[in-house]
Amino acid sequence: MSLRERLRAALKEPLVHFLLAGLALFLFFAWRGDAVDPESRTITITEQQVERLAASWAQTWQRPPAQDEIDGLIRDYVKEEVYYREGLRMGLDQDDTIIRRRIRSKMEFLASSELENEAPDDATLQALLDKNPQAYAADARYSFDQIYLAAQDGAAAGAAEMLAALNKGADWQKLGDAISLPRSPEAVDRTRIATEFGEDFAASLAGIKPGQWAGPVPSGFGLHLVRMRKVEASAKPKLAEVRQKLENDWRAQTVKDREAKAYQTLLDSYTIRIAKP
Amino acid sequence: MITAKLVESVWAQHVATVERYNQPGKFTAFIGYEFTSLVKGNNLHRIVVFRDGVEKFGKTMPFTALDSKDPEDLWKWFANYEQTTGGQVLGIPHNGNLSNGMMFALNDFKGGPLTADYARRRQYWEPLTEIVQAKGESESHPFLSPNDEFANFGKAGWDVGNLDLSATKTNDMFASEYAREALKRGLMLEAKLGINPFKFGMIGAGDIHTGLSTSEENNHLGETFILEPSAERAMRTEKRGSITRFGWQSLAAGLAAVWAKENTREAIFDAMRRREVYATTGTRLQVRLFGGWDFSERDLKGNWVKQGYARGVPMGGDLRPATSKAPSFIISALKDATGANLDRIQIIKGWVDASGQTHERIFNVAWSSPETRKVSKDGRLTAVGDTVDLKTATYSNSIGAVELRTVWRDPEFKPGVRAFYYARVLEIPTPRWPAYDAARYQFALPDGVKAESQERAYTSPIWYSPKVAP
Repeated sequence: MSLRERLRAALKEPLVHFLLAGLALFLFFAWRGDAVDPESRTITITEQQVERLAASWAQTWQRPPAQDEIDGLIRDYVKEEVYYREGLRMGLDQDDTIIRRRIRSKMEFLASSELENEAPDDATLQALLDKNPQAYAADARYSFDQIYLAAQDGAAAGAAEMLAALNKGADWQKLGDAISLPRSPEAVDRTRIATEFGEDFAASLAGIKPGQWAGPVPSGFGLHLVRMRKVEASAKPKLAEVRQKLENDWRAQTVKDREAKAYQTLLDSYTIRIAKP
Repeated sequence: MITAKLVESVWAQHVATVERYNQPGKFTAFIGYEFTSLVKGNNLHRIVVFRDGVEKFGKTMPFTALDSKDPEDLWKWFANYEQTTGGQVLGIPHNGNLSNGMMFALNDFKGGPLTADYARRRQYWEPLTEIVQAKGESESHPFLSPNDEFANFGKAGWDVGNLDLSATKTNDMFASEYAREALKRGLMLEAKLGINPFKFGMIGAGDIHTGLSTSEENNHLGETFILEPSAERAMRTEKRGSITRFGWQSLAAGLAAVWAKENTREAIFDAMRRREVYATTGTRLQVRLFGGWDFSERDLKGNWVKQGYARGVPMGGDLRPATSKAPSFIISALKDATGANLDRIQIIKGWVDASGQTHERIFNVAWSSPETRKVSKDGRLTAVGDTVDLKTATYSNSIGAVELRTVWRDPEFKPGVRAFYYARVLEIPTPRWPAYDAARYQFALPDGVKAESQERAYTSPIWYSPKVAP
């Protein structure tokens, strides 16, 4: 193998590429005249830093790291620091969407993080409740009997006759088609009924008075004859019953407000010039 | 060091938020996170779910893919968490389909052989696998199951490369990516190691990054904010090298269904741990599966759920010791209250023979309109039909059944052969979300776009072992 061939083969090696690229960068910086500060090529790990590494490890593993584990953490930290510094020297932190977003979200978080330690007083929550009681009202709860009639696409096959018979005292337990749905739901809230029978069926229940058999009421399964037994209407909730939900909503809204305010304060100190093409 | 403090307080705030929204009996919020291990673009993600509230969880900081990419290190951390806090945790791998052969590989993360110890830990720490979400379905693949006419659900675009499309996929990778094959290989490994590393139940999930639970096709609000409804999103492309992935290839979402006695962290977690769960492709159909030795059609006349638990085991369990010549199963499915009718219930059986060879077979066990639809000699059932109108993105429940239920006895049972059984329930064909987009924004879907599908549920398996599993 001639020298030239050897050189050509060597140039195909990835490691050689890496070294050449490194050399090129080094030459570039040397040429640009940015002298590398020898201090910035010194990495000093202080005792406090070691303690911090160990403490963070301990929080994940619930025990302090052993000596070899500490050594591993330090090795990893040094590696990260070397790459980090060299990366900064090369300007790799510039124009990086991920780094920019990350710093932005840290700032946004800082604006509202103090909120964690705050709790709103009763008056604040009561005002929130009074403003929109409907949003905090408990679901209506229904107790009823239902007979299922298998009917494709809502055909009311025989439902009217069955209804007449029922209201004359026919035994409802013996009527209807089999299906895996509860026949006599007991004090079930509207949301749950909508999940099991479908939204349309749940909405229909509000119009059925307790006492007589009524229907047919369509659901996603077919038709139902329904005898309402008891309706517990949704009432205006008391503060104590919905306190957590009120507090959650207060917190979510306050986070938004504080972020907006913090941003506005910062923005006010800037002059923004926009050249539109 | 302000950053270290910030990370701590972000996590503490997250945990506090979960606590504030968890309402036992009404709305369950779990403390959890994602272990996002990615190896050269190959997806090894795990969802991590804790059973505990903050009183046990305390100030625990999560173990993330920044600490290690090796799932065995995650399990080590799980064990440590349980020992030090007295709490409980489990991991759920997802998107085996984007792991380029790594998710259910026949070697460990470092390349070493699977051992009994590995199998024991994997089975314990990862009792579930997520098989459906926006980024495709990972239950079965037509390459692995050429006789399964329904194995092609959610494959287009997802079976061509790994997660970030940095590497193409080759046929030899499929076997260690898909759940059904892993379940079969699990039996083979159990024969060899004495314990099955791939003994998992199956769930679906959203992967929806918007915080909205909109899993249906007609309310698909997109996996991320850039995929919100528009006339363009179906044809959005993600391109890398020679591979292109299209927006329409995303699935709307999957759902995890859990058979728990209460809507609480404890009850739901315990059900997940015993694998009493099933996966759906986004619809809320109700599916039951019980395995025993003496179920018969007569049971269906009475309280069969009670009998199912009393004389058998539910999905996710191990068949009890044999008391008859073949196991029988109660299988029941009720349609989604606001969704499509049902086409059929199938039982998928996998087994391993004495030579270590794995097999699978699909049995059609219950279907709509049995008077007109028949099973042919090769085991195929007449198709249910198709009422989808793509112009309006509508369908009609004039075909299919509201509820299907049967008792099925394995006609090919061999007492000496390890096997598993799970149910797959298919709905009638319905429009997919791109079809709703096309109808709403008034544009024509280009050729090749999959505009309709048969949504479905897959239960966790019930296993049979000649020697009862420990």
